[in-house]
Amino acid sequence: MKIRIPWLGVITTLVCLMVISPFLVIVPVSFTSARYLSFPPQGFSLQWYQKILDRPEFTDAFLFSLQLAAVTAVVATLIGTLAALAIHKYNVPGKGFVTTLLMSPLTVPSIIIGIAALLFFTRIGLGGSFAGLLLAHILIAVPYVVRLTLTGLSSFDYTLERAAYIMGAKPFNVFWDITLPLLRPAILSGLIFSFLTSFDNVTVSLFLVAPDTTTLPLAIFSYMQETLDPLVASISSVVILLSLVFIFLLERVYGLDRLFGTNTQSH
Amino acid sequence: MKALDVELIHIQKKFGNNIVVDDFNLQVEQGECISFLGPSGCGKTTTLNMIAGFLEPDGGELKIKGKLMNNVPSNKRELGMVFQTYSLFPHMTVAENVAYGLKLRKVPKAEIKQRVAKVLETVRLPQVADRYPKQLSGGQRQRIAIARALVTEPSLLLLDEPLSNLDAKLREELRDELKRLHKEIGVTTIFVTHDQEEALYLSDRIVVLSHGKIEQIGTPWEIYNEPATEFVHTFIGKSNKLTGEVLRAEGDRLLVQLDSGSTIEAPLRGKSFSGGEAVSVYIRPEHLSVSEGAAAAAGGSQLTGKVHLSSFLGSFTEFEVATGQETMTVRLPAMDRLRGLESGETVTVSWNPEHAFVFPRKEG
Amino acid sequence: MSAPATRAKRAAYQAALLLLVPAFIILLGVFVIPMLYIFLMSFQDAKEQFTFDNYILFVKDPYYIGILWRTVKVSLLTVLCCLLLGYPVALFLSKASGKMRGFVTFLIISPHLISVVIRNFGWVVILGDKGWINTILMNLGLIEKPLRLLYNELGVVIGLTDAFIVYMVLSISTSLYAVDSSLFKAAGILGASKWTMFRTITLPLSLPGILAGTTLVFSLSMSAFVTPALMGGTSVKVLPVITYEKIMATLNWPLGAALAFLLLASTVVLVTVFSKLVETKRYKEVFAS
Ligand SMILES: Nc1ncnc2c1ncn2[C@@H]1O[C@H](COP(=O)(O)OP(=O)(O)O)[C@@H](O)[C@H]1O
Ligand SMILES: [Mg+2]
Repeated sequence: MKIRIPWLGVITTLVCLMVISPFLVIVPVSFTSARYLSFPPQGFSLQWYQKILDRPEFTDAFLFSLQLAAVTAVVATLIGTLAALAIHKYNVPGKGFVTTLLMSPLTVPSIIIGIAALLFFTRIGLGGSFAGLLLAHILIAVPYVVRLTLTGLSSFDYTLERAAYIMGAKPFNVFWDITLPLLRPAILSGLIFSFLTSFDNVTVSLFLVAPDTTTLPLAIFSYMQETLDPLVASISSVVILLSLVFIFLLERVYGLDRLFGTNTQSH
Repeated sequence: MKALDVELIHIQKKFGNNIVVDDFNLQVEQGECISFLGPSGCGKTTTLNMIAGFLEPDGGELKIKGKLMNNVPSNKRELGMVFQTYSLFPHMTVAENVAYGLKLRKVPKAEIKQRVAKVLETVRLPQVADRYPKQLSGGQRQRIAIARALVTEPSLLLLDEPLSNLDAKLREELRDELKRLHKEIGVTTIFVTHDQEEALYLSDRIVVLSHGKIEQIGTPWEIYNEPATEFVHTFIGKSNKLTGEVLRAEGDRLLVQLDSGSTIEAPLRGKSFSGGEAVSVYIRPEHLSVSEGAAAAAGGSQLTGKVHLSSFLGSFTEFEVATGQETMTVRLPAMDRLRGLESGETVTVSWNPEHAFVFPRKEG
Repeated sequence: MSAPATRAKRAAYQAALLLLVPAFIILLGVFVIPMLYIFLMSFQDAKEQFTFDNYILFVKDPYYIGILWRTVKVSLLTVLCCLLLGYPVALFLSKASGKMRGFVTFLIISPHLISVVIRNFGWVVILGDKGWINTILMNLGLIEKPLRLLYNELGVVIGLTDAFIVYMVLSISTSLYAVDSSLFKAAGILGASKWTMFRTITLPLSLPGILAGTTLVFSLSMSAFVTPALMGGTSVKVLPVITYEKIMATLNWPLGAALAFLLLASTVVLVTVFSKLVETKRYKEVFAS
């Protein structure tokens, strides 16, 4: 008898394994009782989690990254949502062109965006400042928010707004009572996605952080180039946990498959 | 005389170079139910949207309760409106949807509750107050939309094809409901539809529109029995068309020579024609009667032909009779003794001359 | 002539423009002007005089040409791996039920939302000399000394494939979802074998997806910095890494700016050439939108 191998299923399983394998090793390694990276991980201890607390460069970076990502998310969502509303709702002329323009930062590699920002910001005296870093993070987050909000608006029923107007609502009431609640999923996912975009970013931050305030991914990046020990695993596990919370939120609010167009940014 | 609730005076609307509503004049009395009737794309929604304030007219004046409304935003016009797609707010319950207009008017909470309950009674759906629109059927949604429009006691209720998203059975049910509500509440109503039956059934007066122009304004009886134009006559109900040329006028009668050679007569109804003018003569199927055998003398108000198709349609039977160059449809009550006419039989079709309509024919 | 705008219309229009202002300030101040600024800088020498030297250096110096070639090679290998592994996954997705499709899509997308630095660290743990793979193979006695899986081109290609395969899968599956499944029934009735059906229906109709995925993965790989830096070590220096060094270590900003534009230009040129090759006249006729 000939056994039929379900090749597609096998390869799909392998690919799924491949993309999650980094996490499958990091988490066990973080609980090792050994003093170095070893296979298989030995024993069980929380020592590497304790050690995070002894390393202010990581805890500071973590807090800094959280703040940076939170501010970026709020500002980018505000700016991006307003822009998308302008494009879709008020039908500005040349809206195809305006949309392309707003999306254009996605088409340029982020390393080049980082370099351009560094050189220009240094010239105008913003080099190494928090403002410069924040502005660059906002720049790369806004296109995602615009796209998410535009997608949300594409299925928006404008007669609902008319229904509210005719019932006596002022423009502000219409926006607050009708438009905004109906766009909530799109706006919320814009918020989460821009948070993650900022929180994960290395390539732009690389050029713009000040020596004493660095972001967490960048701190890990620099540490990894010197030392490879389970400390990286324990810090990474914390980040993975945090990211998972957001990822599941995003899946619930919006759906990951809807979220991903085929045009996104490099790392 | 009753007060005028709505006046449209020389209203015009253009989209680019396209004149969509042209020289629209209408006066709506308090408590009237008026329908805008016409084929899709004739400008009904556009006109309604100008009354609602979603569009500004490019010319003319719009008055509601005697006040000029041009450039007054929709939210200050105190209107109620029901949309084709229901347009209930999906994130609010039925009660919240209905209460929204009252909340905007800062009506006290207790009174809101009471008025919402009352209006839900009026549309006979008191039990769905806490549901979301998603959980309602199409018919229920439209009733709630009507309740939402009525709760603020608007001076004018606008409805844009409110029944056309419903299936046939529900459509009739809701049509009856609308008629009952209008009788009960007496709110001045403007109703847009492309369905002539709906318009005939519901309206005090009908405005028939074609290509952005008013063809006729009149009661359902007038529209049906005294159509002002060929368009009105053919848009409402079924009719037989006979073509020919004017021979001459005799008193209040016009003699027309049909293309098939026979001469028939039709009432002039105050219009005038010149000799040799190309005209169409219309007679509705239900105004025709049939007798067996050929007529002694064709012409006047009868024609001879052969039956070539009969269709039984329940309450009536339709025959197609070939008379010379034309085919005439005759509609007889099902109980008529002639329901058994055979194909190929020779019959005479006749009518009361008062039921014939003559309109000049545009060549082309 | 169109009708004159009413007052209300004009006010709404002005409001719309106002809503765009913040986005355009960011776009101009952080993107457009800085890009123009470094473009001009790339034509300057140390004394801020106009020069083509930065670009000439690149063309003349075999070192830089070598770097460019290595970057292109690594990117092409990544595209190939993504295509070979990603196509079956896309095919699987297009045939899977809604639930399965959702689950696999989630599995493939969600790692992408976690920092690439962390994923690369995981790979270092797996692929290193004392990593999981080498330890297992040595304990089994299959190899004597560790395989070099890291700090070479192989390591970079593995890391980039992991990072970008999601784009290949999504591009191709999107084009496969659009294929009308009745086509397969029709072909089946006509007697086509599975392989013939794949070759004559599935593959040609998924070409737009392949093209989109390929160009996307290629562009992303060309400009990737973190993965080559962490998984290529000092031995696999690609153009973005060199550019970073020129800017941050050597502080030769004009040269760094020139390298940035060369990276951008070479990517655009290669992608354009590739698209032109694929988009034959027939292709355009079939997939014209
Ligand atoms: N916003 C608009 N821009 C341009 N043309 C329009 C617009 N709205 C309606 N029209 C045109 O105006 C005409 C009348 O439309 P409408 O009032 O919606 O017709 P109805 O409601 O009678 O079906 C149609 O030919 C339609 O194409
Ligand atoms: Mg309409």
